[in-house]
Amino acid sequence: MRRRASLAAAPLLVFGATACSGAFGMPRGATEQGRDVFDLWQTFFVAAVAVAALVYGLIAWSLIRYRRRRSDDAEALGAPFRERRGLEAVYVAIPLVIVVALFTLSFRTGQRVDDLDPDPGVRVHVEAFAWGWRFSYPDLDLTVVSEPSGPGVDGPELVLPIDETARIELVSNDVIHAFWVPGFLFKRDAIPGVIQTFDVTPTEAGVFQGACSEFCGLNHAYMRFTVRVVPSTEFDAWASERAGASGAAA
Amino acid sequence: MSTTVDRPAAPPAPHGPHEEPRGVVSWITTTDHKRIGILYCVSAFAFFLVGGALAGAIRVELAEPGRQLVTEQTFNTLFTIHGTVMLFLFVGGFGNGLANYLVPLQVGAPDMAFPRLNALSYWFFAGGGVLILLSAVAAAGGGAAMGWYAYPPLSGSGFSPGVGPDLWILGMALVAASSLLSGINVITTAFLMRAPGMTMWRLPIFTWNAIVTAMLGLVAFPPAVAAFALLFIDRRFGGHVFDPQGGGDPVIYQHLFWFLGHPEVYILVLPFFGVITEVLPVFSRKAVFNYAGFVMATLAIGALSMGVWAHHMFTTGVVDNPFFSAMTLLIAVPTGIKFFNWIGTMWGGRIRFAVPMLFAIGFLLNFLIGGVTGVMLASAPIDYQVSDSYFLVAHFHYTLMGGSVFAIFAAIYFWFPKAFGTRLSEAIGRWVFALLFVGFNLTFWPQFVAGLRGMPRRIADYPSGLGFETPNLLSTVGAGVMSVGVLLFLVDVWTAFRRREPAGDDPWGGSSLEWATTSPPPHHNFVTLPPIRSERPAFDLHHPELDPGAGR
Repeated sequence: MRRRASLAAAPLLVFGATACSGAFGMPRGATEQGRDVFDLWQTFFVAAVAVAALVYGLIAWSLIRYRRRRSDDAEALGAPFRERRGLEAVYVAIPLVIVVALFTLSFRTGQRVDDLDPDPGVRVHVEAFAWGWRFSYPDLDLTVVSEPSGPGVDGPELVLPIDETARIELVSNDVIHAFWVPGFLFKRDAIPGVIQTFDVTPTEAGVFQGACSEFCGLNHAYMRFTVRVVPSTEFDAWASERAGASGAAA
Repeated sequence: MSTTVDRPAAPPAPHGPHEEPRGVVSWITTTDHKRIGILYCVSAFAFFLVGGALAGAIRVELAEPGRQLVTEQTFNTLFTIHGTVMLFLFVGGFGNGLANYLVPLQVGAPDMAFPRLNALSYWFFAGGGVLILLSAVAAAGGGAAMGWYAYPPLSGSGFSPGVGPDLWILGMALVAASSLLSGINVITTAFLMRAPGMTMWRLPIFTWNAIVTAMLGLVAFPPAVAAFALLFIDRRFGGHVFDPQGGGDPVIYQHLFWFLGHPEVYILVLPFFGVITEVLPVFSRKAVFNYAGFVMATLAIGALSMGVWAHHMFTTGVVDNPFFSAMTLLIAVPTGIKFFNWIGTMWGGRIRFAVPMLFAIGFLLNFLIGGVTGVMLASAPIDYQVSDSYFLVAHFHYTLMGGSVFAIFAAIYFWFPKAFGTRLSEAIGRWVFALLFVGFNLTFWPQFVAGLRGMPRRIADYPSGLGFETPNLLSTVGAGVMSVGVLLFLVDVWTAFRRREPAGDDPWGGSSLEWATTSPPPHHNFVTLPPIRSERPAFDLHHPELDPGAGR
């Protein structure tokens, strides 16, 4: 009996094994906003596992306890009950409480993630195009743009200073793309005719992978980029070195 | 395990004027709801084999980094047609087929309310399906390769100039028209053609779910057809409705499309919730637990599903995320009620693990994963990370494949004896179930991991060194295991028709009216109708010693 129940929970254990120490497979979020989403993810994941464990447990119990045994009369019927009004009220109420709690947490995180800083440290204009990226820093007069994309071609590099809020303005002039940095736990669609504005505040130095995540045609798979997060001094040095070199490849 | 029980044989079906016509022409010209239902289900299954072959090609291409099998353009056509075929032609078509076959039988009617309209809706469906398949291979300018939701501007004439997208639009419009006609038929039949004694509160849960599915289709398909028509005008007649260069707005298309697209998800799952609710009580040898709760939960899901469409658009930044997030989370409540009702139905039963029951249990186990990951996706901030990633791909395959498709197999094994008078093999069926269950989880569980590691969907190739290789290889192996399961299923069907072992009228000890007539049923379904005193007329007929409706 216990063995069967643990068999039913096996997929969850496998998933737990692939997750490292409570991250449940998710990157921890290398920005203030991403870290917030990561915390929310942990809560949602634990709630999901708790609900799944309860439901799987009940299913396993019914299947094992109420299986037809060899000794049973072939014609034997199950118990005649069809309703339990009190029980039904309980299992309407409990999921309702859970989703209200989850919604409240999600709503608050959403407000913080979507919040715009009145005084961002650096502004970047991101243009997605088929199939590449153009990162321009209007205050610094410099632009980084993709090589023509294809298998094995490295995308351009977006350089951001650590611990400063970066204001991203995202546009597209052809089809819909999406700017996704999995390490930041964030993506936003680039829609022609819409200027998307959002903030990211990197908290960890390093190189993060980025990709277009909205299907945009032939070379969608190769529409990649990287984000390099560096200390402010290094960012300033990079900016002055690159200033004026607009249009050149990264 | 034999589950046949000795019961007095039903009188032989009268022959003569009611004898079934034979031959291909009789099938093409038929207006009999049972034949149309079978045509729907067989065509849908053929589309499943096509869609499965496309998925197989996708999995081979993605088995390892680098391009091995197809070009990027072909890959983009593969997933576009795979998605369209599986959603609208296989799962949608099969749901329509089941409703066609079962609703008149379950309400005790001789046929659908409008038999000729019914035939027309099938032929619209078949014609639309053929156009959609043609859209993949249309040579002039390339096949349809814009994804199954065909977002403009990518699906506009500038970026997709070929005739493929046009054929796709026409095919989708025909399939939508077919759904509308079929929905009108199902609703009219269930409301107006019920046998004496068959009140609404005695309708089998499958029929209730078919009614709600039909209503969703009636509300959701027209805006989508409008969107497709506007897209066609933009493409071919110089319109600018969705063209930002001409003052149009591509976001409007997304609203119209998902106003269909999300109810469509429930159109693709509610009939199969119904199937599971028919199968579980029969193999638990109990009545459905909390019948009224099931009906209310289905109505609630139907109503809520009309107000959640923009949760597909959280990352567009131009919709009210909290509102759509809240509506989406609320759907977890009626869905949870259904799960507890299913458990309550098994609780205290005498559960027989026949093949339909195995698939129903597989449905419960898989769909729950789809459900809890759906709750994660309902949170807009979490969606910022997992939307359009392989996490999302895994999620919806857990609902649609692990859920609806497992229920389709449960339905096939359950009603095959009724429709054809012969049974599929229990022994082979167990293997089919085992291969599909293991193969399914091996295919889609690793995709959750790949998505969390940052793998976007719809990519023909992926870089190495980002942790995508192992999950993708496991996925491809799993797809191979599943295809063996599907082939074995075809063997099962083949041998069942060769053996022609008589199934008996009621091989499982069924509850609803279709088990109170012959297998297969006569031309107008019933020679005599049993008295209908509860939601289990066939059960009451076979158990005259019990009080109908006892246990409330």
